[in-house]
Amino acid sequence: MATDLSPRTQPLTYEDALHLLRRATLHPTHDGAMALVGKTPTEAARELLDRGTDPVLPAWASTPPDPNIMFSDAARRWPEMQQWWVDKLITEPSVRERMVLFWHNHFTSDYITVYYGQFSIRQNALQRTYALGDFADFSKKMVSDPAMLIFLNGNLSVKGNPNENFAREWFELFSLGVGNYTERDIVEAARAFTGWRISGLNGTYTAQLSDLGEKTIFGQTGPWTYEDVVRLTLAQPACARFLATKLLRTFVQYYPSDEAITALAAEITAKNFVIKPVLQTLLSSELFHDATVRGALIKAPADLVLGLATSLNYTTMQRDLVVSSMAKLNQELFYPPTVEGWKGHHAWITSSTFPSRQRFGENLVNGKTTDGTQIKDTSGKAITPDLVALVKKVCTAPNDPVAVVDALATYLLPVPITTEQRAVLKEILLQSRPDYEWTIDAAFAPTYLRLFLQAVVRMPEFQLM
Amino acid sequence: MDRRRFIARVGKTGLALATLPNIIGNVSVRALAGVDAQLQQLLEATDRILVLIQLPGGNDGLNTVVPFTDPVYYASRPTISIAAKDTLKITDTLGWHPALSGFRDLYNDGSMAVVQGVTYPNPDRSHFRGTDIWLTATDADVFAGTGWVGRYLETMAPDFPTTLPANPLAIQIGTSLSLGLLGNKGPMGVSFRDPDEFYRLVNSGVSEEVPSSDQGNTPAGNEVAFMRTIARSADVYAKVVKSAADKGTNTVTYPQTDLASKLKIVSQLISGGLSTRIYLVSYTGNTFDTHADQGGVNGQHARLLQQLGDAVSMFMQDMRKQGLADKVAGMTFSEFGRRVAENGSQGTDHGTAAPLFVFGNDVRGGQMFGKDPNLTELDDRGDLLMENDFHNVYASVLLQWFATQSSTAQSVLFKDFSKSALPLFKSAPVSVRETSSAPMLVQVSPNPASTMATVSFDAQQASAVTIEVHDMQGRLLHAQAASAADGRATIDVSALPPSTYVLTLRADRAVVNSILTVTR
Repeated sequence: MATDLSPRTQPLTYEDALHLLRRATLHPTHDGAMALVGKTPTEAARELLDRGTDPVLPAWASTPPDPNIMFSDAARRWPEMQQWWVDKLITEPSVRERMVLFWHNHFTSDYITVYYGQFSIRQNALQRTYALGDFADFSKKMVSDPAMLIFLNGNLSVKGNPNENFAREWFELFSLGVGNYTERDIVEAARAFTGWRISGLNGTYTAQLSDLGEKTIFGQTGPWTYEDVVRLTLAQPACARFLATKLLRTFVQYYPSDEAITALAAEITAKNFVIKPVLQTLLSSELFHDATVRGALIKAPADLVLGLATSLNYTTMQRDLVVSSMAKLNQELFYPPTVEGWKGHHAWITSSTFPSRQRFGENLVNGKTTDGTQIKDTSGKAITPDLVALVKKVCTAPNDPVAVVDALATYLLPVPITTEQRAVLKEILLQSRPDYEWTIDAAFAPTYLRLFLQAVVRMPEFQLM
Repeated sequence: MDRRRFIARVGKTGLALATLPNIIGNVSVRALAGVDAQLQQLLEATDRILVLIQLPGGNDGLNTVVPFTDPVYYASRPTISIAAKDTLKITDTLGWHPALSGFRDLYNDGSMAVVQGVTYPNPDRSHFRGTDIWLTATDADVFAGTGWVGRYLETMAPDFPTTLPANPLAIQIGTSLSLGLLGNKGPMGVSFRDPDEFYRLVNSGVSEEVPSSDQGNTPAGNEVAFMRTIARSADVYAKVVKSAADKGTNTVTYPQTDLASKLKIVSQLISGGLSTRIYLVSYTGNTFDTHADQGGVNGQHARLLQQLGDAVSMFMQDMRKQGLADKVAGMTFSEFGRRVAENGSQGTDHGTAAPLFVFGNDVRGGQMFGKDPNLTELDDRGDLLMENDFHNVYASVLLQWFATQSSTAQSVLFKDFSKSALPLFKSAPVSVRETSSAPMLVQVSPNPASTMATVSFDAQQASAVTIEVHDMQGRLLHAQAASAADGRATIDVSALPPSTYVLTLRADRAVVNSILTVTR
């Protein structure tokens, strides 16, 4: 397979465009794909990378938290901020929103520990600001981000007896990966990260509280500050490789080749850790578009829930339902299980979550929640997907049952179906009727299409992207 | 009377097997059992259960088992130490954290052992790497994609996943699945939060199924195969688990905590007769990662310990009331202990060694394995040096509790720890190798077997060697002569129904027994 980052030049087919949308955004929609068909991979990537607007923060997010706030008042903000973000995720098909989710799972925090919704939602805003930006500047901002200061005890770390929680995770999870630093580096970096407290809505630096003495990090000695630690860390070859691996796991495949990691790390270094041009290269590369990586990734709950909702044109779905659907599959926004974030890939699939994913898909196709209640839109009105309209949109010959099977399979599955699967899917679509009785406007068509799509979303292949 | 319990009560007389209802009338097994404690243990071990309790985040060992006479402990922890008067005394120098009255009681009645200073050479202070090392049971510098439990269970189900055992081999209570339960062919266990919910999840879907595509050895093809295996386990086991849960019961009232509710389900399933060998329960999140405001007698860490002690002690009470305690053992583990000295935010940073707790009726309880922590000889980070290697604890579990052959334990743990295994269980095998003239059964492989099994032995001095297979009713099903010079023989088990058998090696007048499992 291709491991190089050279740009692919062939114009995008429909399947190529869906592949790009599944990976680069959370919106693999028919209209989205049609708009990209015929464009070069470079043009298509640029278009997706240029999208993205800032959502308006809720008013409460701009008021400093009251330290004496009652639990119920603090906790009220948590679902609000989850729905605030989901509203953006489900309406904006951009790389930027995909990268907000990426950084949310990189510089993690959880709302129980952070407690004050202001800090959690503002951390999300910071991740959005730097989603495609300069990783060095982003990291410096993260050191003093109030949610991070609380989550990893930076606000309690004192000169003379530092708390090494943040310093260790900075190296291990945020920049280099395990094995690429020493215990000494952690001790010294923890000293350099002292001096931060939270004041109002911001992390504030006080030189008197900070250990400004000589430190030796990666063998270099000086009166290093937190900014120096970031600089020295990014200069380590392991840093670009660490980020490259994470990006490849997100966009290409979970087990990237060493050549691919080396190539993308070189690109990250060449672009000075600015993410947007790196992704421009990656998303238009031969590597990204290689046939062997189709279906190589297991969908995160975000991909599954948002992907199916947008594919079925369900973008008005009640926001709390989107949040809870993901949470039931072990991805609750603003609440990753540990500082490592969601592990991803195989960790998503267990004997509990796999059937849960199937039930989620079947129910959504049926216009129901997992509890069997009718899905409502944001205004409270019941909604069901119009499957007949969907077929008319994605299939050029909607009265031909084989064409319908193929069009929906292509639309929803990342790998081609086999001859045997096509035969079974056709049987399910026709429910034992002869081919010639099928027309898209037949009275039985909506019911049969529902049974058919429920069978499709049950397939293991549907869990891939 | 429960079979296991019966064995335990009369086991010492050597009559146990002979008088079991389902072995009455058997001559050969009775005769064997009378003289062979190892066989008795092997038979008992076939339905033994291990409950693993994970304390994620790194439990602070020094505030769990407190060295209350050590001035360095108090000097290192000005704000979070536990005063001597507050500890629950264990020895003249050690005391439980006051929240651990549950552990104190188990220890005092002889059913809990403390293994001191557990870690491994060159310990890693990363949560995630550290956890992986404990779960995969590798050396610190070796990366493995399978867990020690998964590898052990794999030896019991060689045809997995083509053939699934009747009951899940392992169960994790929760919706994630631990690396520890992963084998080479995928997850060796199932996970669910609640048996009823699991059943509903699996069985409430529409029924029409599309066959999986064979994508071959492509990334997508491998992922489809991975999901098929898990989906099939879920399909098969949701019913099995539910019917065990429906049959099972709890006889005590558990505390209203996350951990206790998980152990309650474990108890219910054991009570319902599930033959699952290993259960894994864990606190949610990196709960024990007490970098700040750890607390002392009260506070964050105290609450976690209270939950632990109360849940475990209630679980053991439940098992005892139901006559099931003899077949259950439990063990806690955590990726590391914490630093000796507290940090500037009234907490502790990542450390190394910490005590680990093993409990059960068969545990050599009421004792400490290993010396008290030495707070003056520390490593360069100010962390405790290793007193016990966790691999030796795992080896005890495999060799003594599960009575695995040492060659199997060695393949599971990647190295031979049989010489250094701690004597944690009362029923440690009586080795026939101690008599030099006795034949030595080296290995039965594969075991479980489905068609052929090879028996390797060392009986150089013997003039005649016979291999016999008996069923659990004691009937002789198969006998064949073997050559002492060859030291190996192949036996055909393809006609035997899947079950557990006694394999007997006779060399002149000496006899060695082992367990042979047939699966298909």
